[in-house]
Amino acid sequence: MDWTPLWLSVRVSLTATAIVAVTGTAGGYLLAKARFRGRGLLEAVASLPIVLPPTVLGYYLLVALGRDSSIGRAWESIFGSPIAFTLTGAVIAATVASFPFCLRAARAAFEAVDPRVEQAARTVGLPEWRVALQVTLPIARRGVLAGITLAFARALGDFGATVMVAGNIPGRTQTMPIALYDAVQAGNDDRAALLAIVLSGVAVAALLAVGRLGRATVP
Amino acid sequence: MSWYRHLILAGAVALGLPACASTGSTATAGESSRTPTSAITVAAAADLRLAFAELGRAFEAQSGTAVTFSFGSSVQLAQQIRNGAPFDVFASADVELVDDVIAAGKADRSTKSTYAFGRIVVYTAEPSGPTTLDGLAAPGVQWVAIPNPEHAPYGVAAEDALRAARVYERVAPKLVLGENVSDTLRLATSGNADAAIVALSLVVTRQDGTWALVDPALHRPLEQALVVTSTDPARAEPARRFAAFVGSPAGREVMNRYGFVLPGEQAR
Repeated sequence: MDWTPLWLSVRVSLTATAIVAVTGTAGGYLLAKARFRGRGLLEAVASLPIVLPPTVLGYYLLVALGRDSSIGRAWESIFGSPIAFTLTGAVIAATVASFPFCLRAARAAFEAVDPRVEQAARTVGLPEWRVALQVTLPIARRGVLAGITLAFARALGDFGATVMVAGNIPGRTQTMPIALYDAVQAGNDDRAALLAIVLSGVAVAALLAVGRLGRATVP
Repeated sequence: MSWYRHLILAGAVALGLPACASTGSTATAGESSRTPTSAITVAAAADLRLAFAELGRAFEAQSGTAVTFSFGSSVQLAQQIRNGAPFDVFASADVELVDDVIAAGKADRSTKSTYAFGRIVVYTAEPSGPTTLDGLAAPGVQWVAIPNPEHAPYGVAAEDALRAARVYERVAPKLVLGENVSDTLRLATSGNADAAIVALSLVVTRQDGTWALVDPALHRPLEQALVVTSTDPARAEPARRFAAFVGSPAGREVMNRYGFVLPGEQAR
């Protein structure tokens, strides 16, 4: 049994989760606390990956980041290699696909923080940044972490978007879900079953963690 | 409070998260593992899955170069190479796609060679299933799988044969399209399609099901060519050796066993 796909999957999903943890939490805070024009539209667009077929998402990403796109060309001139069909492409696909799960959970968690507690902190003279960091965030922590865990599970399981953007290159971009697809294509049923069990096991573990993190406010 | 102040706070909250997260901290992945220098990746048409797996093992034993394969439909593989996918050799089921990749400046023209001609068969997993093109049109046959002609050369050949046998109109409503030729075979071996038109190379070693060859005069020749596509000069050398190995006596012996017609053997 070649475990490279598991290793690649873990790398891709952890990197994507790290990006999503920062951007999704910040985005969730912004949506919960700030009132600005286009807020609803912003959330709707960011949430599209939840409802769009992953292949459609992958197609958009390939058009936006491929060799013929301005982003793709700029990237290639700076880093010397394209985004498409690399592990970077896989990370981007997993990031976009999992972002809304963190964003929505974080927004709900921040919204659930009792404003009277924050107000109390302000009245004792805490500056706004300390209220956010030392009051709001610790109270919302469980919900935010649950969102991050869900995002990790989603990033780990992505097939459609990843295969469109990163392709199926054994040892380089072939993550677990793609390896499973490949095993089925090859008629290698034992390997397919083993990959399915491992993937499902990790996903169940992530969901158990979500449950434990707490009566979490799941979107 | 104005929204940009919220933005600054949001950034602070995001960065403050690791500090207050007692559990579930996210670690970034470590350094990428370096691939050995004598390792190549071959993008190969799906009909080569069995033959190249064996050929790859023989090449590894002989040369010490590790070979990994990415099997798929030839059109999709060619698209990936044009978009910068890091493959070292492209073994297509259609010589025209090799020419496309060369024209796009993605391959070493001097390494192009025709390594085999493919044959197609009608395969069925059912004991009483059809093994002829006429049989596919029979009323008892509900689903017929062929590779998607949009991106699989074997699908083009299958469609050619159905038209030449004058059964296409009757079979068309029953067609199920596979992603590539091995996906198509899977549709039939699992019993989800009553029969399939697939590559001889994928069924010749099978113990189950029955199949019969389709007259090659009914479709345009499946001239299969390969070319070296390495962008890294260090990988181009082992890639060239692999390409040469496919055409060597040892390589030809493997290809022959999987039912490929070899260049120079007979015209088709």
